[in-house]
Amino acid sequence: MIFPKRQNMSVKTADSAPPSARHHGRRRLLQGLGLAAIAGPFLHLARGRSAAAAPAKAARVIFFYFPDGVVGPSQDGEPSLWHPTGGEYDFALSPQLEPLAPHKSDCLFIRGLTMGPADQGSHPGGAKKLLTAVDGGNGEGIDHYLARTVGASAPFRHLYLGAMANAGNASGDKFISYPSPGQTITPEDDPRAAFELLFGSGVMGQGGGGPDPTQVTVIDGVLDDMHALRARLGELERAKLDLHLESLRELEGRIKAGPSGTCDDPSVDFSAVTGDLYDPAKFPAILRAQTDLMVQAMACGLTRVGVLQSSNHTSELIMSRFMGAEMYDPNFDMRSHQASHYGPRHDPSKREYADYLAQRRWWVTQFNYLLDQLAARPDGEGTMLDSTLVLLCTEVNDGNTHLHDDMPFVLAGRGGIKPGRLLDYSGQRHAGLLAAIAQAMGADLSAYGDTQTPALTGLLA
Amino acid sequence: MQKRSRRRPPPPTRRLVLALLAAACAAGQDDDSGGDDSGLGDGDRARGAILYREHCAPCHGLSGEGGVGPTLRDWDRGVASLVATIDQTMPTQNPAVCTAACADDVAAYILAELTGDACTLGQAALAPRQLRLLTRREYDATVRDLLRLSPAAAGGPCGVDADCELAAESCVAGACAADPCGRHTFIFSSAQAHSSVHVAGSFNGWPATVAAGGWSMEHVPGDNIYYTKRDLPSGAHTYKFVIDEADWIPDPSNPASEPDGFGGQNSLLQLTCDGDGAGPLFAPARDFPVESRPKGFEYDNNAAAGLVTATHVDKQLAAAAEVAELALTRLDQLLPCDPLPDPAACADAFLGDFGARAFRRPLSPEERAKYRDLILGEPDFSAGVGVALRVMLASPYFLYRSELGEDQGDGGARLTPYETASALSYAFWGTMPDDQLFAAAAADQLRTPEQIEAQARRLLDDPRARELVATFAAQWLGVEPLRSASKSTNLHPEWSQELALALIEETRRFVAHVVFDGDGRYGTLLAADYTFLNSALAAHYGLAAPPGGDFALADNGPDRAGLLGHAAVLANYAHSDQSSPVRRGLFVRERLLCQHFGTPPANAGGVPEVDADATTRERFRQHSADQSCALCHQYIDELGFGFERFDAVGRYRQLENGLPIDPAGDMNDVESMGAGTNAPFTTLPQLAQILAASDAAPACFARQAYRFTMGYLEAPHDLCGLAAVESRFAQSGYDVRELLVAIATAPSFTLRR
Repeated sequence: MIFPKRQNMSVKTADSAPPSARHHGRRRLLQGLGLAAIAGPFLHLARGRSAAAAPAKAARVIFFYFPDGVVGPSQDGEPSLWHPTGGEYDFALSPQLEPLAPHKSDCLFIRGLTMGPADQGSHPGGAKKLLTAVDGGNGEGIDHYLARTVGASAPFRHLYLGAMANAGNASGDKFISYPSPGQTITPEDDPRAAFELLFGSGVMGQGGGGPDPTQVTVIDGVLDDMHALRARLGELERAKLDLHLESLRELEGRIKAGPSGTCDDPSVDFSAVTGDLYDPAKFPAILRAQTDLMVQAMACGLTRVGVLQSSNHTSELIMSRFMGAEMYDPNFDMRSHQASHYGPRHDPSKREYADYLAQRRWWVTQFNYLLDQLAARPDGEGTMLDSTLVLLCTEVNDGNTHLHDDMPFVLAGRGGIKPGRLLDYSGQRHAGLLAAIAQAMGADLSAYGDTQTPALTGLLA
Repeated sequence: MQKRSRRRPPPPTRRLVLALLAAACAAGQDDDSGGDDSGLGDGDRARGAILYREHCAPCHGLSGEGGVGPTLRDWDRGVASLVATIDQTMPTQNPAVCTAACADDVAAYILAELTGDACTLGQAALAPRQLRLLTRREYDATVRDLLRLSPAAAGGPCGVDADCELAAESCVAGACAADPCGRHTFIFSSAQAHSSVHVAGSFNGWPATVAAGGWSMEHVPGDNIYYTKRDLPSGAHTYKFVIDEADWIPDPSNPASEPDGFGGQNSLLQLTCDGDGAGPLFAPARDFPVESRPKGFEYDNNAAAGLVTATHVDKQLAAAAEVAELALTRLDQLLPCDPLPDPAACADAFLGDFGARAFRRPLSPEERAKYRDLILGEPDFSAGVGVALRVMLASPYFLYRSELGEDQGDGGARLTPYETASALSYAFWGTMPDDQLFAAAAADQLRTPEQIEAQARRLLDDPRARELVATFAAQWLGVEPLRSASKSTNLHPEWSQELALALIEETRRFVAHVVFDGDGRYGTLLAADYTFLNSALAAHYGLAAPPGGDFALADNGPDRAGLLGHAAVLANYAHSDQSSPVRRGLFVRERLLCQHFGTPPANAGGVPEVDADATTRERFRQHSADQSCALCHQYIDELGFGFERFDAVGRYRQLENGLPIDPAGDMNDVESMGAGTNAPFTTLPQLAQILAASDAAPACFARQAYRFTMGYLEAPHDLCGLAAVESRFAQSGYDVRELLVAIATAPSFTLRR
């Protein structure tokens, strides 16, 4: 009797790929090639290049989500401590945003946007509207809209990576990515599996030889059955099968195109990502690996639309277990959501408040790391940061009040926008920001969301 | 109406919304749901249904049955009054959310579908046709059965383990059986004879000798190997082999290693189990994306959420190749003929058998021709079978189970006999139909309730039903996430994933025992004075360890009762370092009583600060002091306080922070919120009795089983059928097996619209 390599238990080893024998491509690259080792030589490119080199359109977009809001306006009416203060060009970062100082000139700090009244005051309500701008999440998310329009020609139209985002059998309203109205998908939480998906299946250069003819036969055969079934379906199930069909066509495109990536040595440091992927002490390493993967995938031309979801709202993530972080405390469990309810006032003597501030700074630091990585990679005349838009977002404004007004958005990059400014759009819908991002990507979208809000003006200049 | 200023917005995006709108328009033409003549106003009820679920159902119930807010089913004040009420006052937390067109739409939906007698709705009272994507567990179980890999089918005769595939099977009662998940086989190949070889590692304290606890490896001289099989928890392990109790060497067959700190290398083993206890041998869907569960639907098999993304497709195709590769090694068992004399005939025979099992129905002539061509299109017959298998396993006919039905000529549809066979096998076993079900479908013997009932009872008698019911219970109770839960390392240093998995296993074994070996009563699930313990759990509970240390039926002590006393439940509905009256109260309300709440208002407080000088109960007093909190928390906290004798890992405690605990709880309004009843209790056995004696708790259990079986959250069209199911459940004395039979034999099981 012969048994498969993959058995009832997976035997994963610290220095080799997942156990599957099905891909052979880039396994060796999993072996301890730290990203820093290749990023180093390019770091100088990030500084001192002219903003004039920035392209008119952004080639890619990344939505970087973290849970449970920020220190916004307090319940007692103290003003938001998130937004920078000052004028459009002359402003000072808040303590929460201070970790972004190295990239201050790469960011548009946006204040005043509202996500609308629906479910105002709740985490799930905010998560549903965040990328859909539709009440109750009953719309297609902007990430999926972009994936099937300007992102459709990429080998992967959409890349949804998570760090402990599936923790606790999370219900659908904890995910921010809506391919269809009311329906979320779940992200890939395992960096090794994500690496395998992106770089293990022959998309990256495996020499010449063209597409694997058997794979083409298989996909053609499946498509044939898909069409036959689709013809028998009513509207609702047909919509479901259409999404499946688009997914198949995407893979078909990848396979027929053959190796289409434009870089040779994808490498991500997985050395700290072993064992239980839901051990909070490992969160920083997992998020870093997923961030590196996202950048790597984009650098290699594999995708143009990415969503990076950290944990999920009302998060039980014990952030006090992040070794080396400001809020590290091995003797006390401080969870994200626990800290977010710091009470009615901005009271620094309260442990929750102090931890919450430190946690928010930690998220901003991770965002800053993502910008570092983009800035470290050349792209055309400039760097990837010049040609990528990155939106920092969370589902509520203040963690204590859960309000959906004056949302804490930061949009980084240069493609199609003019960063280094503080903009105030008081009372306007965030749908306009999502539409503006789409336009900056070159999409033909004049308005967005259930209010059909026109794209915000003024992001470019 | 001053607020009526917003115009109805244009439809937000394409796809489902367009489909819904199209469906709504069609409905408007077909059954005249549109104009004012109907007395329903001018709202769009399809849109209203979506809005209702979002904004109204949290308080008024999914079917208008009421919750924190009053029932809507008896609304008799007409459409204008309803529209005005919604427009101006609803939802109470934020009336601006639903005005104008929204109010019209919701009112139309409420009046058309939520009021009146659900049993008179006719055609509308049927579930929609649907395609149900196989979940990961269903996919894995299905391919194992398809390839006839399950132990019963695969098990060749054997005398010793070495007669089987040693790395993955053991010889059990004369037949090779797959090792359960977590059982690892250490194998050391050596042509030399040694006086002793043992395993020493992080799991057994690195003993230098067998006498000191080293795991002795058995010699199989004929194969020149030494081996031992051991059950290991998920996680990373390091180890070495020790030869003759003198030479320590890394495992030569394991390439993974890490420095041992002494200049050498330790072998490194990383194990993960699916967590469902004894699990699958072959699990190609293990890496598929996690299923998305719509809010309020606690199960992994929601049909509407079963969307196939690009990641799914990539992994499905890879899994299909993997399954095909394995199938080719078993072709002698899967191929009913010798292909050499007549390849085309043999291809047809293969498709008639294997193909029909893969698609869970016979292939049409066109399909048969297509797949025959795929097989014969390759230079080599088995290579052709491999290609055909890869297509089949990625085909929608394999990946989805069809509940499209065949038209009945009246606008409705009825599942075909083959669809019914699958509906039954997945409902009771979580896998594809067996040969008997296929035979019954072929003979059109799955039509009458009596025929279906006979099959349902046969399926229930199979061990696979035990596993499926245990899986249902784990999802109903929501305890599966416990396996990756973190607990305070200071307060609960004994917490480990191994312990968490054992706690989940306790719950699974207990439920399967009550349903299949015990009296089968729902009440026993709540109130039993016994549970299942192994030695680790006995230590955790402070109870006597069972003889031998393996899982066995044991007394659960005076403080616990049935599932309510399971540490899996108590620890899952707690935080890492403290109990949670809110989570435990919500657990009872939502999962045991099917009572739901809206989202907390803005400015809702979070978990009160930890205070070493106060008990949890004292810290949560704010909830009842604050009027806006008390609206919901009177139903949550007063109940949750009754669990305060149990800490964050579900252990019994006399004191909290050195302070005495007040364990008084109140299972108020057990039948419906707002009724104003009280039911004080101070122990879990008392609470179990209150729940078991209620109507609401067993009715909710029936509803939960219905959701799991049907793959959607019940809608108004299900109420009539559900009432009949609940009534059969009650008549049986709340026998869980009878409930499952009642769901399978109800008209809703096979009729669609």
